[in-house]
Amino acid sequence: MLTVTDLNVYYGAIHAVKGISLEVNEGEIVTLIGANGAGKSTTLQTISGLLRPRTGTVTFLGEPITNLPAHKRVERGLAQVPEGRRIFLSMTVAENLEMGAYSQRGADTASGMEQVFTLFPRLQERRKQIAGTLSGGEQQMLAMGRSLMSRPKLLMLDEPSMGLAPILVEQIFSTIVEMNRAGTTILLVEQNAQMALSVAGRAYVLETGQIVMQGNARELSGNEEVKKAYLGG
Amino acid sequence: MSFLSHLISGISLGSIYAIIALGYTMVYGIAKMLNFAHGDVIMVGAYSCFFLMSRFHLPVIVGVVAAMLVCTLLGVTIERLAYKPLRAAPALAVLITAIGVSYFLQNAALLLWTSNPKVFPSIAGNTSIKLLGGQLSISPTALLSIASCIVIMVALTWFTSSTRMGKAMRACSEDKGAAQLMGINVNVTISMVFAIGSALAAIAGILLCSAYPTLTPTTGSMPGIKAFTAAVFGGIGSIPGAMIGGILLGIIEIFGKAYISTQLSDAIVFLVLIIVLLVRPAGILGKTVQEKV
Ligand SMILES: Nc1ncnc2c1ncn2[C@@H]1O[C@H](COP(=O)(O)OP(=O)(O)O)[C@@H](O)[C@H]1O
Ligand SMILES: [Mg+2]
Repeated sequence: MLTVTDLNVYYGAIHAVKGISLEVNEGEIVTLIGANGAGKSTTLQTISGLLRPRTGTVTFLGEPITNLPAHKRVERGLAQVPEGRRIFLSMTVAENLEMGAYSQRGADTASGMEQVFTLFPRLQERRKQIAGTLSGGEQQMLAMGRSLMSRPKLLMLDEPSMGLAPILVEQIFSTIVEMNRAGTTILLVEQNAQMALSVAGRAYVLETGQIVMQGNARELSGNEEVKKAYLGG
Repeated sequence: MSFLSHLISGISLGSIYAIIALGYTMVYGIAKMLNFAHGDVIMVGAYSCFFLMSRFHLPVIVGVVAAMLVCTLLGVTIERLAYKPLRAAPALAVLITAIGVSYFLQNAALLLWTSNPKVFPSIAGNTSIKLLGGQLSISPTALLSIASCIVIMVALTWFTSSTRMGKAMRACSEDKGAAQLMGINVNVTISMVFAIGSALAAIAGILLCSAYPTLTPTTGSMPGIKAFTAAVFGGIGSIPGAMIGGILLGIIEIFGKAYISTQLSDAIVFLVLIIVLLVRPAGILGKTVQEKV
């Protein structure tokens, strides 16, 4: 479904992503783990089109999209929940969801919202509320719900557990599994490697801009090196 | 009675400032830049209308609509050619470019229309409306300005709160990256804002010259600066703020002229701005959104 080949991304002179190649197949949950600053967000933003690679290609559903503007990638079914959520704080919950459906050109916003509300009943209660007044957990739900409004085929999530209490982290991860069962392919970026490896089928380990390990998520979580570096022993 | 009449003049001048300030504030909101050339777009709008009406004897409404079209095209072109290539550039480079565009427009107008002042006929006519047994007289231009301002305010409020494009505009103003991830074409949205702001500038230019009939290539400068002040005064980036700021500025200016000093009225306007910004650095309605973790 998604193929990334030999991606090199720079911030000026900083070489943030160094020749990354990865693949996500339809129906999978794939996770990209690594320490802070490893280049996870840079990789996701290059796939979603917010950043341009210096070299390398991104192929989605069999077509090269390396030079496609970000807003057109959404139309093709590639959505991203950005790091730090970045919901529209001055807009209401409902307006945020409407913006999520922007690429659908108004087709069936209501039924999309119903689906999001089934997944996150809290958002329904608060749909007239200004998003900036939501709690951190609710904001994460909104960010995820908003991305689902575009009916993505592949959903990329950048650290959805960041800053959340453990109970909320559990809830967010079970929702991710639920979304995947409902047919959305997932590419999940996390610093919380333990949680990520527990829901993913496959994983890539990123270190200073390079993939240093990859494979079956369960096998990786049993790997001594991974345990030492990312699972706290 | 003179108090009431000054108040009406103030609101009417303030309405024109408000319409101009909307252009500044909307562009600032989305592009985070001060479009210094906005005042000169006003001047181009007034000249276009004047030229079409005096040369071709077109009806007022045709002149106004044509001037709006000219300014829309001009605004979008300026954005595309001068500002878009500088999206990622430092704010100072953008500001200097905007000042350059401003001088370019003034000098182009000088070439096209010379420095001889044109006498702009009021598009609202000259028959004053007498109220309270003839004690209070209101110029039709004043009424038209106030009415235009109200209509524009209502229309813009509706546009930004209820239309897909308007909401996309707010989304882009808040976070361009996130807006792109929603499938919003940020470039198109920014062009749209320049188009709206410039069309409003045309209306403001025509109203301004209807109230103060001398039209020269520098006609837009001072009202432009004052409207910018009004936008900052009300809270730059805020649409209701531009409205309130513009109207208050008009009232302060006219009252300053009437009761304090004609020469000092501009100084008073800017003094009030400085005081407001000392007390409320973000302006009257300016807000600082706090991020939640
Ligand atoms: N906007 C930026 N400008 C310059 N350097 C950046 C920028 N964003 C990230 N970097 C650098 O690129 C590297 C990778 O960052 P990032 O992709 O955010 O890592 P991660 O998401 O894995 O924490 C880091 O060294 C970081 O400092
Ligand atoms: Mg990151």
